Amino acid sequence: MYGGGNTFEGIKSDELTGEDPVKLAEFEARIERGEKIEPSDWMPKLYRKQLIRMIEQHAHSEIIGALPEGTWITRAPGFKRKMALMAKVQDEVGHGQLLYSAAETLGKSREAMIDDLINGKSKYSNIFNYPTFTWADCCFISWLVDAGAIVNQLANAKGSYGPYCRALDRICAEESFHLKYGHHCVIYLASGTQKQRDMFQEALNRWWPPMMHFFGPSDKISVHTEILMKWKVKMGTNDDMRNQFLDMYVPKIWELGFTIPDPNLKKNTETGRWDYTEPDWEEFKRVINGDGPCNSERLEVRRIAEERGRWVREALRTAKTEYVTPLA
Amino acid sequence: MKSLDPRVSRLPETGNSSPKVPLDQFGTFEVFVQPKEGKPFQHEGIVHAPNLEMAYVLAKEAFTRRFTCISIFVTETRNVYVSALTDGDEDAYDHVTKVASTSGKETFEIFHLLKRGKQHQHVGKVEAGSHNEALWVASQQLRGNKQVFNIWAIKTSGIRFTKQEDLDLWNTLGEKKFRDAAAYKGGDKLKSFLEKTAQQ
Repeated sequence: MYGGGNTFEGIKSDELTGEDPVKLAEFEARIERGEKIEPSDWMPKLYRKQLIRMIEQHAHSEIIGALPEGTWITRAPGFKRKMALMAKVQDEVGHGQLLYSAAETLGKSREAMIDDLINGKSKYSNIFNYPTFTWADCCFISWLVDAGAIVNQLANAKGSYGPYCRALDRICAEESFHLKYGHHCVIYLASGTQKQRDMFQEALNRWWPPMMHFFGPSDKISVHTEILMKWKVKMGTNDDMRNQFLDMYVPKIWELGFTIPDPNLKKNTETGRWDYTEPDWEEFKRVINGDGPCNSERLEVRRIAEERGRWVREALRTAKTEYVTPLA
Repeated sequence: MKSLDPRVSRLPETGNSSPKVPLDQFGTFEVFVQPKEGKPFQHEGIVHAPNLEMAYVLAKEAFTRRFTCISIFVTETRNVYVSALTDGDEDAYDHVTKVASTSGKETFEIFHLLKRGKQHQHVGKVEAGSHNEALWVASQQLRGNKQVFNIWAIKTSGIRFTKQEDLDLWNTLGEKKFRDAAAYKGGDKLKSFLEKTAQQ
């Protein structure tokens, strides 16, 4: 449930040339009618490429997103919180499995996706490159990062690619527990001692800038965005998603008596949208390109896990198997 | 590695990694779930596993952690024989041609896709000598009134079904209430907090 703020590759002007105009028209008509595209249907090369990129990033985000929360499993406050956090982290890894499978139906093997994650070629949600210093940081993720992801996922579940939509439907069904659990944790901190309240306020101050980055840079409607939206790969602009998140969660944060560290944050009564200080997109770019506080740790953990598991996979591999693309 | 997570700090150093070899993540298996008694098995998705038995265990983890289900089965993806996917009001059975009956019959499980965007459902079994013959026999025996967009035929002998002793797998679901949203009702706590702050 961590998909969000996908970075789409720039589209070169020649990428749509060479497509069969009749097939392209049929493909677009199918999407227009609200029908799903299935793996065996004809699709433009650009559609396939951008979808692989998006679903793969989403899958990596689930796997990497399990790490900052996982940090607190050993020290969760009490048995109930520990059980819940373990279940949540297990869910996230399970979501990664569902998403890798959906991406595979488009023709990229799971081996290639994991290699690209470890060697830094594929991206994942930028927010997981930040550290969870306290239990309250972990609660911020469980409640608000999950909430942001749900905004994106509910939109994407109405997209055009059948296997991705079906994976998202399953994922969203499990998300309701995460969101309720996260809110529950924060209510307990908010109504606790002054020290607990301060702890959450500090976490909020730390995580607000990455949370605003989460939905991705402002995307002015361009020809590229237009075609991805027409093909229902992208279901709304990054700003729309960010605005929807602010609409739903800023009142809930304020209700608990916390302050959001942005003096310009307010709902504009004329436009009906939220005004806020423009996030620092230079920092966003810097972190996404590898220079965040936890980038190297996150990838190193995955790399070591791969290395340590290698002998087990080798022992289990049978010569009889052959690779087959999943059906749906 | 110095980390906020003590378990990460304890990880041993390993050498540089080399790219994954083909099939490092194992073969592909299709998973089918029966949600309730009397409901048909439905295709749910895939798992990667080193063999059929492990695929069954992983399928249970990946697809039945939450939802109530009474049975699952798994089979290797390459065992699934797929008809052409049709469009508009074209029925997949219209493309199935008669195949001469051969000796050495086996049982095949037949699945229909009744709506694009949804998943295949089990409709019954047929006896046939080949996958193609199985589709032909299915067109004679299992074709109903509804349009079928796609047909799958799977040899019954290649399926790992749920056995009687596996049924315990789902018995612990009831003890795991902490995985349900309903276990996190914060409303009362929030209400008393808001009342208290309003008084101050």
